[in-house]
Amino acid sequence: MSTPILVVDRVTKRFAGHTAVDALSLTVPPGVIYGLLGPNGAGKSTTIRMIMNIYVPDGGTVRLFGDGPHGGDQSARIGYLPEERGLYPKMRVLDVLLFLAEMKGMDRGSARTKALGWLDRLGLHDWRLRKVNELSKGMQQKVQFISTILHDPDLVVMDEPFSGLDPVNAQVLKDTLFELRSRGKTILLSTHIMEQAEKICDHICIIARGRKLIDGTMTEVKRTHGGQHLLVGFDRERGAAERIFADRRLVAKHDGSAQYAELELAHDADAQEILKALIGSGARLSRFELAEPSLNKIFIDLVGPEAATAAAVPGSEHVRA
Amino acid sequence: MSVHKIWAVIRREFVERVRQKWFWVMALLGPVFFGAIFLLPTLLMTKGGVKHIAVVDGTTTSLGAAATGKLDSTKVFQAVRVIAGPNVLDSLTAQVDHKELDGFLIINDSLVLGKAEYRASNVSSFTAQATLENSLSTLVNRVRLEQEGVDPSVVDRAQVRLDLATHKISGGKLTGENAAQSFSLAYFMGIILYMAILLYGINVMSSVLEEKTTRIVEVLVSSLKPFQLMLGKVIGVGAVSLFQFVIWGISARLIFSQRSRLLSGDMQGPDQVFQIPHVTLATGGVFLAYFIGGFMLYSAMFAAVGAMSSNEQEARQAQQPVSMLLVLSFISMFAMLNDPGSTFAVTLSLVPFTAPIAMPVRWAAGSLPLSEVALSLAILFVSIIVVTWIASRIYRVGILMTGKRPNIKELVRWVRAA
Repeated sequence: MSTPILVVDRVTKRFAGHTAVDALSLTVPPGVIYGLLGPNGAGKSTTIRMIMNIYVPDGGTVRLFGDGPHGGDQSARIGYLPEERGLYPKMRVLDVLLFLAEMKGMDRGSARTKALGWLDRLGLHDWRLRKVNELSKGMQQKVQFISTILHDPDLVVMDEPFSGLDPVNAQVLKDTLFELRSRGKTILLSTHIMEQAEKICDHICIIARGRKLIDGTMTEVKRTHGGQHLLVGFDRERGAAERIFADRRLVAKHDGSAQYAELELAHDADAQEILKALIGSGARLSRFELAEPSLNKIFIDLVGPEAATAAAVPGSEHVRA
Repeated sequence: MSVHKIWAVIRREFVERVRQKWFWVMALLGPVFFGAIFLLPTLLMTKGGVKHIAVVDGTTTSLGAAATGKLDSTKVFQAVRVIAGPNVLDSLTAQVDHKELDGFLIINDSLVLGKAEYRASNVSSFTAQATLENSLSTLVNRVRLEQEGVDPSVVDRAQVRLDLATHKISGGKLTGENAAQSFSLAYFMGIILYMAILLYGINVMSSVLEEKTTRIVEVLVSSLKPFQLMLGKVIGVGAVSLFQFVIWGISARLIFSQRSRLLSGDMQGPDQVFQIPHVTLATGGVFLAYFIGGFMLYSAMFAAVGAMSSNEQEARQAQQPVSMLLVLSFISMFAMLNDPGSTFAVTLSLVPFTAPIAMPVRWAAGSLPLSEVALSLAILFVSIIVVTWIASRIYRVGILMTGKRPNIKELVRWVRAA
């Protein structure tokens, strides 16, 4: 296996009275889209800020590109999109992009060429000399997105990149992320929208209350944590479905509606047994499918109760530094 | 690498500010404002100085007519002789009340004894009073000498008008400056220093606040050190202020060189309170050194204030103690102008927070030993380092903070935190 792009080793960050991140470790291999998943207040942004060297961890280390802890100036190789978006409202679009590129060590000449290219590509060419505050929210998001990747970083770190994006812009972002990955770039993004993560992430790490619950490739996580899943669709007649689903020898967990059910099979249970039992009880099926569990299901199973508690701590996400 | 980034920060601060409208408004209004300070007193004294008066003649000799003629020949008065009689004073008073007349002089035979009375709507005019006294006493002297049998030609020769020239001695050398020029130079420098340090210090504060409220600061501090960011900001805004000075300097020179044309009046005479100061290289150097020093000191504090606030309103409140230090120096300026050598003035010019205004004011008002200036600059320099160190620590923690403003105890903790 090649050298990881990013190694977070047992980092801890404490804020007045609570631990935001608790001995969290994760390893991001090169060339993947890595999802840092967790409910609100789980410590995603704090972790990302430690990776970005904005916060200094109270314990543990962050190693980038196989180097020692923050050795040398690596900011030029990283692009960062913070959770709370913002640009200089009174500056011209192109000037903001040039300035932020300079902050990443680019010279103005090549930054200009690249910025114009990106503005063109995202349909903002005519806006390049307008002030940022004359742009719509969506356009500002695009400008900020350009500023994140303008200097062609090897690692792109994005905190909740999809929040506030309309479906069209979300698709543009997704396409760009895939393109970056195909060029060997690594992307670390945080999100609490599992459907989104499921579609784009190769690797994931689910955290809650500052601790890691699970990490690995999407396939690994689904295999080890989801168990075997069965999707059942009913054609009006449910038969004795309730009784069969309640049989703990066959079904570990079940969830669904009148027409549909998602089952987690019990250990060693055979799906054919369930099929037989359902047919035998008079149920009419429109669908019977063995499937991987959805990431959303895994997520809720893992953090469900904890997420509820975390959300109940008032202002847990607002206590910073 | 970092130098390149600091340079980019400086460049952004400079270019964005110079592009703004208010910079050019200031560039334009500055000379107009300062020109007004200089020209208004002269304007008021020369143009507004022509007073229409009546001379109420109760003399039995030709003295009344002579006095009227003499006053009328001055540039200050246009005098008309009125023979004293019943109700004359009342009707003249009414005329003054209706602003048809500026005032009237009442004389009778006791003028020879040195007695006269002047009633007017405005008796505080220094010029009017001096001209009245001067003209009348010359006249009376002449009459009395003639009464004593002195030859009128001898009297003429005996009367010499004294014109006192004041010149400032600086560094054992006579300078071209007179008292009025020294005063106006000190006053002028004090005002500019106060305004520029306050204005541009607050500029640094809003710049910090803007980056904090837009959260763009997160992207910045992941690319360069907070101290580098703060340094770039201070230098960038400072460069804008120096650029503003250059514009002011050039336009001020233009205004002054065209001054007589602008006023198109008689500008001669010692009556001018404000005169064009002669700015020596040394004075320019002192001004620049204290402006840069004062700006560095105050902008570091303003940067810290911006970093610890989370919106404009909070910042406005939090910057008051800092501004008060400046206001204090400004208010003390007038006492220092009165007595630049007093213990009070010397103390203020050594205390780093007041020195940036106090020392240049004292320098311009009266000559100072260089050692005193050197000591004051040394104290200022050390203070800049200490204050910047503290401010940068507050800044570093503050820019990433959200939520309520820290109290003093928390601030101390921020400074102590490694």
